[in-house]
Amino acid sequence: MSLLEMRDIDKSFNGVPVLKRVQLSVDKGSVHALLGENGAGKSTLMNVMTGVYQKDAGTIIFDGQAMENITIHKSEEAGIAFVHQELNLFNDMTVWENIYLNKELVSKFGRVKKKAMVEKCRDLFRQLDVDIDPLEKVENLKTSEKQLLEISKALFFNAKLLILDEPTTSLNNDEIAHLFQIINNLKKDGTAFIFISHKMPEIFELCDTYTVFRNGEFIGTGKIADVDAQKVTEMMVGAKFSSEDLYQARKTGNTVLKLNNLSGVGFENISLDIKRGQIIGLTGLQGAGSSELMQCIFGVTSAICGSIEANGKKVPNHSIHSAMKSGIAMLAANRKENSVIPDMSLLENMYISEHTLSAKNFHIHKKQEKEKFEKYRKMLNIKAQDSSDSILSLSGGNQQKVFIARWLNTNADILLFDNPTQGIDVGAKAEIYKLILELAKSGKTILVNTLEIPEIQKIADYCVIFYDGKIVKILDHKDINEHTVMMYSTNAANV
Amino acid sequence: MSSRNSFTKSIGEYSYVFVFLAIFAIFAFVSNGLTTNGVMNIFRHSAVIGIMGIGMGLVCLVGEIDLSVGSMLAMVSGFSVCIYNLTGSIILTLIFALLFGALCGLINGFFVGYVKMPAFIVTLATMLIYRSFAQYFCQVFPKTILGGGSSVYRINSKLESYRSLYNFGNGKISVVPIVGIVLILIVILFTYITTSTKFGKKIYAIGSNRKGAGMAGINTELTTVKIFVICGFLVGISSFMWIAMNASSDPATTGKSYEMYAIASAVLGGISMSGGKGKNLGVLFGAMSYTVIDKIIVALKMDSLINDAIKGIILILVIAIQILGPQLKNKLGRN
Repeated sequence: MSLLEMRDIDKSFNGVPVLKRVQLSVDKGSVHALLGENGAGKSTLMNVMTGVYQKDAGTIIFDGQAMENITIHKSEEAGIAFVHQELNLFNDMTVWENIYLNKELVSKFGRVKKKAMVEKCRDLFRQLDVDIDPLEKVENLKTSEKQLLEISKALFFNAKLLILDEPTTSLNNDEIAHLFQIINNLKKDGTAFIFISHKMPEIFELCDTYTVFRNGEFIGTGKIADVDAQKVTEMMVGAKFSSEDLYQARKTGNTVLKLNNLSGVGFENISLDIKRGQIIGLTGLQGAGSSELMQCIFGVTSAICGSIEANGKKVPNHSIHSAMKSGIAMLAANRKENSVIPDMSLLENMYISEHTLSAKNFHIHKKQEKEKFEKYRKMLNIKAQDSSDSILSLSGGNQQKVFIARWLNTNADILLFDNPTQGIDVGAKAEIYKLILELAKSGKTILVNTLEIPEIQKIADYCVIFYDGKIVKILDHKDINEHTVMMYSTNAANV
Repeated sequence: MSSRNSFTKSIGEYSYVFVFLAIFAIFAFVSNGLTTNGVMNIFRHSAVIGIMGIGMGLVCLVGEIDLSVGSMLAMVSGFSVCIYNLTGSIILTLIFALLFGALCGLINGFFVGYVKMPAFIVTLATMLIYRSFAQYFCQVFPKTILGGGSSVYRINSKLESYRSLYNFGNGKISVVPIVGIVLILIVILFTYITTSTKFGKKIYAIGSNRKGAGMAGINTELTTVKIFVICGFLVGISSFMWIAMNASSDPATTGKSYEMYAIASAVLGGISMSGGKGKNLGVLFGAMSYTVIDKIIVALKMDSLINDAIKGIILILVIAIQILGPQLKNKLGRN
């Protein structure tokens, strides 16, 4: 029996259609994968369902009731809960305050019944097998715990349908397994899920059914058991995708980046010798030290001891600026927070880093900058109308390309990519892999930190695996596979 | 379709020009026709607050605030009077005013940029400090340095160079007041800096996303300090113009509430208080709008005490229209 039926939904913004007669049907007690590239219309449909936007046409039936003029409040009341990718929690408040916010249990005189609420939280957490203290402040929780808290919060008020928007992006494999186990338990009790993710293995592990959108159109739906990853990917991206192996061994040059017993917050005693033209994959569980190492190389954090040599010269007194002058660039993780300058145009976003290096020539030559932008736009295949468009008008993948252009424009030859494909659709991901390989061919040296092992498999010459702040294993290209990497990054190899 | 869109977009972007024109039209109406002199006087009377507003606009663009500029004007102009009375040199007085203003800004900038204290707190404190110094030293300095005034810094008009100083403050080149020309030059300079230099882009980047700007290699601390120093420097120019125009500076009243007028001019000119958005040119129109309101009140022979109420109401109206406009348009577009 289907819990949710959405039929022939239309929605356009300023005359531009973003949803064209799309369908979605979710059964009780199932996990439904909603698939499509960024911009395919998944989020818009979810926003229509939860009342953020109003549909232009179509019918929505939830739990046997036709829903019209949906508001956020109405959809919550009906039992739909949206667990957003950016978690909507109040960091300065405790766990129980977050759960009960605006729904507090109160005594006759308006006093909040803290004890009763904390007790109820404990009960629910026990039921769900979640290990969170209701009295803890939310800011002290790990990302995975916050994710679980959001889900618990929804269940607290009897949500029948949970929308999970890329819930696993910032979780490590153990945490993902725990999350999936919880989802599976809830499924047995009849709760339904819409699961939005770009990670194929997860979808095939967890989901029962799927629906694919492309460019705002409904492409297909069915049982996960009847398809494979290749087929689903083809549906998502259309004809343009090819999964051919792009990796080729390259000639590498002299050492360009040398780390000597480098220690800092989160990692210790790292020695690496990286040669021109190499692509190095760094990986490990969240907090294992690979991302921290990158930040230190780029001068975001300072080293405690040890040294960094770039192009044969010691990188002095660790600041971002001195790292940049030594030819180091970093594409930071968390694009929205660390890279996007929201009030600026594409051109301005691309040029700000170069400006800090050439600040002495204070005048901006607009024509030259525009030409340079056009060059990078062609080279990186950035899908944008005009260099004066807002950065926010681009999809995640194209934004990321603008930031790659930002760093290429500084003429850096050592590129640090921290989680470069975060929240980027399959098509754009493939483009970015290709780009990384091309850059390496042209003599750039690239370090990629990622938790997604297939990514490393596709591009890296060798893979450095971190565990608890130390390097536990270095694997050659031919030895990289999910199983081996997982063994070392969970330290299972040394048990 | 698209040309109409870009037309409405540019109306929104330059709304401060329309606000100014509307107020100006009322002025023309109530004063029974305009004289060249009357129009040129708008520049003269906008000069001090306009230049301070430009500085405040920059501070707002990086997402900070400077409450101390009014007190700074009182202190810098007061002490500059003393320097003039001591040396009789216009050049030395100008240099002192600029450097002392920049120093006051540096103090603000140091605590905001490097110590990372909230700008509101730091400049609230220096607002009290600078005003207090201006008033205290006016009692302490010997009469000869103060120009013989009691509880006021007065320029010694017997000095040889006094005529030239007076001329700078009150003279005209053809019909345009010299201080008005200074204002226009500074607006042009800072319009250039904010739109066409790398330093200008840094200001917007920091105001838009401080962390992101830092990760892109911008030294956000140093840039913040520089902005406060520039703001202080501009107050220094204003101070010099103030004493040239008035030949005195009363530490109790000079620059009183000017920080608020400067902020209001910046906001009326379309600069966002949270940073990253707005144009330097808008501040000029914001400041001139307020000067014209003063003149309307004088022309109507209204009590000058009602002045601030009208300025406040206009500020609320203009910002409310700016915020409600797009919301209304959205609603209408939906139906």
